[in-house]
Amino acid sequence: MGYVRQISVFLDNKPNQLTGVMKLIKNHNINIRALSIADTKDFGILRMIVSDTEKAVDVLREASYAVAETEIVAITIPDTPGQLSRVLDILGEQNVNIEYLYAFLGKSDRSVSFVIRVDDNDNAYTALESGGIIRLTANDISEM
Amino acid sequence: MEKYWDKDIETMPPEKMKALQSERLVKQVKHVYENVKYYRDLMDEKGVKPEDITSVDDLHKLPFISKADLRDSYPYGMLAVPLSECVRIHSTSGTTGKRVVAFYTQNDVDMWENCIARAITAAGGDENDVLQVAYGYGLFTGGAGVHGGSHKVGCLTLPMSSGNTERQIQFMQDLGATFLCCTPSYAAYIGETIQEMGISPDDLKLRAGIFGAEPWTEEMRQTIEKSLGIKAYDIYGLTETSGPGVAFECSEQKGMHINEDNFIPEVINPDTGEVLPDGEVGELVFTSITKEAFPLLRYRTRDLCVLSRGKCKCGRTLIKMTKPMGRSDDMMIIRGVNVFPSQIETVLIAEGYAPNYIIEVDRVNNNDTLDISVEMKPEQFSDKVKDMQDQERSLALAIKTMLGINPKVHLVSPKSITRSEGKAVRVIDKRRLHDMPAK
Repeated sequence: MGYVRQISVFLDNKPNQLTGVMKLIKNHNINIRALSIADTKDFGILRMIVSDTEKAVDVLREASYAVAETEIVAITIPDTPGQLSRVLDILGEQNVNIEYLYAFLGKSDRSVSFVIRVDDNDNAYTALESGGIIRLTANDISEM
Repeated sequence: MEKYWDKDIETMPPEKMKALQSERLVKQVKHVYENVKYYRDLMDEKGVKPEDITSVDDLHKLPFISKADLRDSYPYGMLAVPLSECVRIHSTSGTTGKRVVAFYTQNDVDMWENCIARAITAAGGDENDVLQVAYGYGLFTGGAGVHGGSHKVGCLTLPMSSGNTERQIQFMQDLGATFLCCTPSYAAYIGETIQEMGISPDDLKLRAGIFGAEPWTEEMRQTIEKSLGIKAYDIYGLTETSGPGVAFECSEQKGMHINEDNFIPEVINPDTGEVLPDGEVGELVFTSITKEAFPLLRYRTRDLCVLSRGKCKCGRTLIKMTKPMGRSDDMMIIRGVNVFPSQIETVLIAEGYAPNYIIEVDRVNNNDTLDISVEMKPEQFSDKVKDMQDQERSLALAIKTMLGINPKVHLVSPKSITRSEGKAVRVIDKRRLHDMPAK
């Protein structure tokens, strides 16, 4: 179905952790489409959508990083006031719980894209579809 | 059928053992008094003469000696024979101060290797076995000692020393090693590496391992046994008395039999020096009654354990000691509570974590802090911050339940904690720095 897969990587709280990941990604010619970092006092979690998920997971695991692969919801909405709020309303009405979300650059400068991590993907897909929100597939993202 | 290396000694009735010990003790005290000034002074100071010692029941009359005495008398002060009769030395790592150097005559080496041969035999080893020695060779007693014991038994001995783990595994496969001997932390690391290399324990001929030189937990035993597909036996010893082989596990795996024909054990109250009855926890004290070059009388090991007598299912009558609960110098006092690293390790393994951790103790605003960094397993990682923090909290709670004090738990990346090929360093106590007088 072309679900979008996100890679997350555990980062220890010490210098050069992100650098290490980026070097690996670069050396394997993998392109990053979307990225965010959650940081706590103790550690960070790097989340990203990349051009070649499988390869990225392999090289990171090989280098002993803790890596998780998750299916996430990706959408694109017009870059005008109130659009994200509308999306949140749609999800809220269906009781879809959001763990986190982050924005990334879309295809055009008139739209903006979001990665949304929810507790129930199927429920979220149904809600977004009936609300007329455009979902991005893995293909869409790889063509960006 | 249980196999023994020295059946007469290992199954000797206790009264007969006591008579043997008494005879050897009397001789040893005389030898030491006549040949070691340091002892003569200690005994004179206490008003004890060799004639006062007529059996093991008189043991308590002798003064204790401790590591400090060995340091004071470094290097030759405790030597009881001319150097020309010595054939070898070994030495402690010296991590807690000045090194201790121990001397051996050929008889001493033979006695020690026989003790190790008993351990190998008790673990089911014989001349058909291929024994891989992955203890470090050199000043450390582990490598040379097990090597010699393995020769005595007639095993094909692979003198690998520690390190170069992939080569260890390659030899293990190519030469069909059936026994592995190293520190438990290194055994765990070899097990982990085997898994990573995609080798199943079924592909190896390994069937047993004898691990010692550092304290390890029952949980660690299970981890090693599972990852290597073997039975893991404990062996105990210290450089000061000879090296590994002072005590060893039999097939029962419930406590270690002490080679008491060579080493008389006592358990004492570490604060008062009072001898405690069997069954009570206290500091282990050894008197070596057969060593010639470096004989120690009532040497305080700082290891805490319990002694118990009674015939074991294996048929051995040799007195047993529990796994040391920790060396009394490994014990940390944190916020007034006694904490052993082994207690923390027990919780980690029970909660599904690998035994790779660093314990850091510090003092902030006059309050002790306890920080434990633990490697997560790759499958324990989640992309949700909340999940990770929940894992940290639940592990901290389990540790708090065990210790009674609240630690801070930090999960860290897999393989980010340096693996040890010898004795693992797991505790960093920064408080000592603050306690140093300001200049």
